[in-house]
Amino acid sequence: MTIETVLFSLFSSIALISGLMVIRAKNPIHSVLFLILVFCNVSGLLVLLGVEFFAMIFLVVYVGAIAVLFLFVVMMLNIQIAEMQENVLRYLPVGGMVGLIFLLEIFLVIENDLIPVFQLTDSTAHSALNFEMFVNKIQSIPNIEAIGQILYTHSFYFFILASLILLVAMIGAIVLTMHKTTLVKRQEVFKQNAIDFAKTIHKIRSAQE
Amino acid sequence: MNHFPIHGPFVAFLGLLCLVPPGAVAISWLLAPRTQGAEKRTTYESGIEPVGEAWIQFSVRYYMYALVFVIFDVETMFLYPWAVVFDRVGALALLEVCLFLFILLIGLVYAWRKGALEWL
Amino acid sequence: MIQEVKYLTVSMILFLLGIWGIFLNRKNIIIMLMSIELMLLAVNLNLLVFSVCLDDMMGQIFALLVLTVAAAESAIGLAILVVYYRIRGTIAVEFIHLMKG
Repeated sequence: MTIETVLFSLFSSIALISGLMVIRAKNPIHSVLFLILVFCNVSGLLVLLGVEFFAMIFLVVYVGAIAVLFLFVVMMLNIQIAEMQENVLRYLPVGGMVGLIFLLEIFLVIENDLIPVFQLTDSTAHSALNFEMFVNKIQSIPNIEAIGQILYTHSFYFFILASLILLVAMIGAIVLTMHKTTLVKRQEVFKQNAIDFAKTIHKIRSAQE
Repeated sequence: MNHFPIHGPFVAFLGLLCLVPPGAVAISWLLAPRTQGAEKRTTYESGIEPVGEAWIQFSVRYYMYALVFVIFDVETMFLYPWAVVFDRVGALALLEVCLFLFILLIGLVYAWRKGALEWL
Repeated sequence: MIQEVKYLTVSMILFLLGIWGIFLNRKNIIIMLMSIELMLLAVNLNLLVFSVCLDDMMGQIFALLVLTVAAAESAIGLAILVVYYRIRGTIAVEFIHLMKG
């Protein structure tokens, strides 16, 4: 029972329980808050895994941006909580079937050693050797540096592609949400400030005469 | 696992991170004066009596700000590794980053022209 | 190396929870979007676990791309949701059947 095992159990159990609460909470705001808890715990798992850059990124992007977007939309839509009450049992047979099939597939994959990396399932024999990973001792650069060295050189097209995806997202969302009604008269500050006062008065006078 | 990756500065930072928020709450709990009563439990609305529910409908304007924030948040995520390896990846990477920023600048200019950044 | 199977199990169960969220919450489209977000998170975790196991950096690059797609997807999905709410006044999924003809 190392500290890593303890931390792993803590993070993963909280993540799974709050993942369950995301889909079972009655109030959508509680759902969003549990989603944030899932993201935080998964980033803890990523720290344990050794990809600390991604742990930071998950916090920044998922918690800082996406969850806030969800919160804004939940607040914007003004849904009553009573509207959200529903009958779960109606969809339980189909959902349960799909869940069971997937669960079976998962355990088939994990138990049958379809992935050659994990053939060494006897962990006692493995840890009894207690060898030192010399590869880690020789070459150890931070995660963020490794990503930087490959992202801008070898796979720069992913980098450019990401910017195109972001551009499409931004333009698409603006096209969808921005609509200016012509029925409502809005205050146009620039136009109103730019009116020449003397000329306006003059016009009215000439109209009266 | 043999390659437990947590380094010293990271552990220090994590410890500080775990200490600061409870510390802030504890200090305010220790120092703040406490009063009880029905008045205390109401929502603070600049001294005026609160009207209606707390769950009010937001304007779509907030969504536009959140959206632009999300896009530029993800953009920042792509620029972080560049700051670390800036001196080793060379001039071509600088060009790529300029292209990246230019493509996103198009989006920003579009948002600006459509009036998504104005508050009505 | 062997320890990473645990991470895989966690990410697969998270993915399952996302699928379940879509199947069981047929009434609330916001929670369906959140379930999609959960599934993308699980996929990301899976990519990162395999990237660490197999010592291949492409997995992490791809995780970055998936993260970008997740942000773009939630932005556009929520924008569609807002427009739909503005037109129809409700976001109940059971009334979204106009495409049936």
